[in-house]
Amino acid sequence: MRPVLLSGHERALTQVKYNPDGDIIFSVSKDHVVCAWYSGNGERLGTYHGHVGALWSVDVDPTSTLLATGGADNTMRLWEVKTGKLLKTWEFATSIKRVEFSPDGRLLLGVTEKRSGHLGTIVVYEIDPEKGEDQSDEQYLRILCEESKATVAGFSYLAKYIIAGHEDGSVTQYDAKTGEEYKNVQVHEPDMMVTDLQWAPDRTYFITASKDKTAKLVSAFDLEILKSYSTDTPLNSAAITPVKDYVILGGGQAAMDVTTTSARQGKFEARFYHKIFMEEIGRVRGHFGPLNYVAVHPKGEGYCSGGEDGYVRVHHFDKAYFDFKYEVEREQANL
Amino acid sequence: MSGTHGRTDWAEDDDDLTLDLPQTQIIKNKDGTETIISYKIRDDGKRVKTTQRIKRTVIKRTVNPRVAERKTWSKFGAEKGKPVGPQSDTTSVGENIVFSPRPGWKASTEDKSEVEKKKANLKDAKIKCRICSGDHWTTKCPFKDTMAPEGEAGAAELADDVPEVAGALGGGGSSYVPPHLRNRGAGTGEKMGGKYERDDLATLRVTNVSEFAEENDLRDMFSRFGHVTRVFLAKDRDTGRAKGFAFVSFADRTDAAKACEKMDGYGFGHLILRVEFAKKAT
Repeated sequence: MRPVLLSGHERALTQVKYNPDGDIIFSVSKDHVVCAWYSGNGERLGTYHGHVGALWSVDVDPTSTLLATGGADNTMRLWEVKTGKLLKTWEFATSIKRVEFSPDGRLLLGVTEKRSGHLGTIVVYEIDPEKGEDQSDEQYLRILCEESKATVAGFSYLAKYIIAGHEDGSVTQYDAKTGEEYKNVQVHEPDMMVTDLQWAPDRTYFITASKDKTAKLVSAFDLEILKSYSTDTPLNSAAITPVKDYVILGGGQAAMDVTTTSARQGKFEARFYHKIFMEEIGRVRGHFGPLNYVAVHPKGEGYCSGGEDGYVRVHHFDKAYFDFKYEVEREQANL
Repeated sequence: MSGTHGRTDWAEDDDDLTLDLPQTQIIKNKDGTETIISYKIRDDGKRVKTTQRIKRTVIKRTVNPRVAERKTWSKFGAEKGKPVGPQSDTTSVGENIVFSPRPGWKASTEDKSEVEKKKANLKDAKIKCRICSGDHWTTKCPFKDTMAPEGEAGAAELADDVPEVAGALGGGGSSYVPPHLRNRGAGTGEKMGGKYERDDLATLRVTNVSEFAEENDLRDMFSRFGHVTRVFLAKDRDTGRAKGFAFVSFADRTDAAKACEKMDGYGFGHLILRVEFAKKAT
């Protein structure tokens, strides 16, 4: 496996994402610029300029025509993927920590930061892909997070629920139409921030990563914890791989502690766990800073990781990855 | 230099020179390969002829039409106007990573190969007795009790003698005594560390200590032989693990000698300790 290194950013990566066909990777970093890359050869397609603060999040709609970003300049922006043109800017009182499209691309969700005088909120806008620049300013939905601010959020299957991960380690299920809170479950250790929430391909379950060094597989329907993966380092990201039943966890020592330890102690590796047996099956090293985000190719052909070191590393899985089977799986296949 | 043309733009020099170079030749070979001969001028001004022999293989991949269409998009933003294909300033290929998943993977298995290498090295190394240079461990030497280890013959006795010799300034064979050895017995030297001098006479140097050892383990082991006044275990600043050597000081020298004799070759952790009297750091 020869990774392709993308060095288009000058500062730490905050999120990387594949488009639904898996041919383009979008990356955002603290250097204010969004980059689009061809995932196959690592060629940079273009950059999106306009933000004036660190970027925290990026997402692309199902047709790969619209791109949403959110950042520390208190704006959420909508871009045209093909040309890099800025279509729409929504302004807020605080920074945007997470953006995500609904599965049909008609709704766009944003998570706003909590700051003095402003509670953390989850806002939802209606998006009309036909209209281009002429998007609605009106909030379709606004959920106030009074107990603990939301750090991550996303739409479940059929955009039925909005699931949010909170700073206190809990996960909440909201109705995606009314914003009513159905359920709140303390999935992770108390006061251990949920750092990432990524969906399984069918969005019936998701994986959360947390600073408490664990990742959990949770059902979207009743927030039941299905599986738990424990590691020896705080986690920043977790992803579920299609095709093979694995999960990829990324993390490492907090960025602020990195200078006090040597690289071999930093644990800056992508960890592969078997999704069902919850057992670690391998690691991929390469970054020399913590991994801030891992994203899996929607067809399971590879994955990419964005690190605090400013690099995106794109990996294309080779045969060993696809061939690996547990004894019981092999027996099952031979029956 | 093309300054004679009245031009001031040095950047155009290169263009001028490339005109002098022969055109790139592409020769089609019979076996289906191509030979490309290209010329360029290196940074140091020398002309370089590059001959490449390549075989073209067309790999057809069927992709989604949407994907194919996106592949034809023109670049924008910072990439605007750049040629097709990855640019070397933003894209590079990393070193090969071997990733083969296996059940029960553990962090330690990664370093297993290194450990095995070391083991193999040990196997190849010849066992040599430090006393009689025989083919056995020093502890198993039949002359262990009668002879001192080679090269450190009578080290213990020597240490005792030193103060007397040094004290007799001008005596003996040599008339010159270096300043740091003068008046040793009186202990009024100008040594660093001032008047508080560690009593190294009863200090043992313990080597080949397991990296997982703790000071307390050593203290327990050595206090069997007498009162231990100090245990120093060298640790790695980064990892906090032991570096493999330690110093153990006894209150009494005879205890130290006993400990030295008994503990040399003692198996601790997975390693065999080597214990000897610490040498003075002169």
